[in-house]
Amino acid sequence: MSQATGFFTDTTLCIGCKACEVACKQWNELPSDGFEFTGDSYDNTSELSGTTWRHVAFIEQNTADEAGVHSRWLMSSDVCKHCTNAGCLEACPTGAIIRNEFESVFIQPDICNGCGYCVVSCPFGVVDLIEKFDPHGSRYNLASLVEARREENKTALQGSGGIAGKCTLCYDRQKVGFVPACAKACPTDSIQFGNVDELRERARKRVDTLTERGVAAQLYGADDVGGGVGPLNAFFLLTDRPETYNLPTAPVLPSTRQPAAYTAAAVTVLGLALAGWMIFRNE
Amino acid sequence: MSDLLEPPGREDVTPTYYDRPLLKGPNWGWSVVTYLFLGGLMGGLGLIQLLADSSDPNERMLKRTARVSAFILAAANPAILTSHLGRPERFLHMLRIAKLKSPMSVGVWGLVLYSGAAGANTIRELAVSGALPRWMRFLAPGFLAPLQALLGGYIASYTGVLLSATANPLWSSGKRHIPAAFVASGLTSACALSNLLSILEGNDRVTRRLERLEMIAGATELAILTHFEKHAGYYGKPLFTGARGERLRTYTRGVGILAPMALNILGTVLPLPKPVDAVRGAIASVLTLVGGYILRESMIEAGKDSARDPRAAFVQPA
Repeated sequence: MSQATGFFTDTTLCIGCKACEVACKQWNELPSDGFEFTGDSYDNTSELSGTTWRHVAFIEQNTADEAGVHSRWLMSSDVCKHCTNAGCLEACPTGAIIRNEFESVFIQPDICNGCGYCVVSCPFGVVDLIEKFDPHGSRYNLASLVEARREENKTALQGSGGIAGKCTLCYDRQKVGFVPACAKACPTDSIQFGNVDELRERARKRVDTLTERGVAAQLYGADDVGGGVGPLNAFFLLTDRPETYNLPTAPVLPSTRQPAAYTAAAVTVLGLALAGWMIFRNE
Repeated sequence: MSDLLEPPGREDVTPTYYDRPLLKGPNWGWSVVTYLFLGGLMGGLGLIQLLADSSDPNERMLKRTARVSAFILAAANPAILTSHLGRPERFLHMLRIAKLKSPMSVGVWGLVLYSGAAGANTIRELAVSGALPRWMRFLAPGFLAPLQALLGGYIASYTGVLLSATANPLWSSGKRHIPAAFVASGLTSACALSNLLSILEGNDRVTRRLERLEMIAGATELAILTHFEKHAGYYGKPLFTGARGERLRTYTRGVGILAPMALNILGTVLPLPKPVDAVRGAIASVLTLVGGYILRESMIEAGKDSARDPRAAFVQPA
């Protein structure tokens, strides 16, 4: 059996309480996103970012027929997928992004140099840069970003360059045998943490149960999502198309394009070098 | 592949999440644009310093110009790149590993090696011309000239590979076109820069050859970009339509390729007096360089727009 741990997020159980978002922010000492009112249902978080590692999506659906108006409210807590083949990990030029002993994708904050290449290499748009970052702070060193301390750290943080941030699958908690903060806080077990093989087994049974009850449910990422990405260590049970939840239907692992890209470049180099040689050679 | 996104009415049937972006765009600004542009230039200069024939006095001069300018650019480029990292000393984190899967990692090592070769070849030039002690020319053995050209080919290539090997829909839809276009554009720019510098040095005997190579590379670049536009379909919209498409057509295609090409043909067919021809060559060169810069800038900025469109990210280019 695989040693990998991960999340099974069963969106049919999500009640949109955002306890996962709050627990994640608290445990990881992540700063607030401000209080912007988006008007997008109850979602004022909008997206995962360098300092937001759980994001609850709210989807309101209304359809009408002779029987009347049918309303459905989908809620789903999004998170880093901890891909089997992770675009961010492959792209990282410093080796800051590693696969740890729990087979989670982890960014070592003291190694990251803020180049931002992982940000554009994630097919799920998860990783982002934390603009200001104090490498000499505490633990994940993000405490320095908390509003109250921002002023006093202003000078030290200016020009510090920032680092990339995303879900660590609570590496520190896992090390001491704790469940990740979001899964611990989830009041409905919509977020389940454990060995991924066991979680997949459980997820498939759940789909069967829901199907028996007449609910159209599908798993996203329990099996290979295609494009070279492989199965996801954090996968989801959805009741609508992945796009509805802002998930790609066909993600692609960026590095799979390299052979074609290098070949095209090499052919052009050789062709132009040959042209140059013919122009510059002496008759 | 792109026609999956093309059918009419697709925008109505594909639900998005409040039109929120699915992907994250690059946070890259002018420093990365300049880095990509100079990378292309350095790559092209690597080829020119090899092609120029040492036995001809004019080409001897061109060889020196190409080597010295390549070295200056190679020295300036890391400084520009690291300014984007906020804390420049963190550039060194890139040198703790070498990773074949990461174009950024291989590229940095390519740049380091290229700088070494360009530096040694520059020392050789300065030693031969007497600016440095003559014995120092032995610091650059002969194989460094083809090596600099080879590494130059890589430097010019990898910036395009670096963009296309991302999750960005626009960049990844051009996995063959962008690297090829950047290589061609790097060589047009390098021909233009060495032509400009040669004209300023009064070395106008190399102009024709450089301009012929520049026209071939420019035509190649134009053909690749034209094919990219057709191939990219929906994914290509941020680059080829609207104000940005207009800018790319005006500056990269018009000002940067077609106008210099016309001026270069004019210089070939008309027996212009020397000073007039020098001015013509200089103008053509400057225009080419502007076009090369705008190509990189458009590609980065359009990539930011592409990342904002969730519909381009649902089905990602293969």
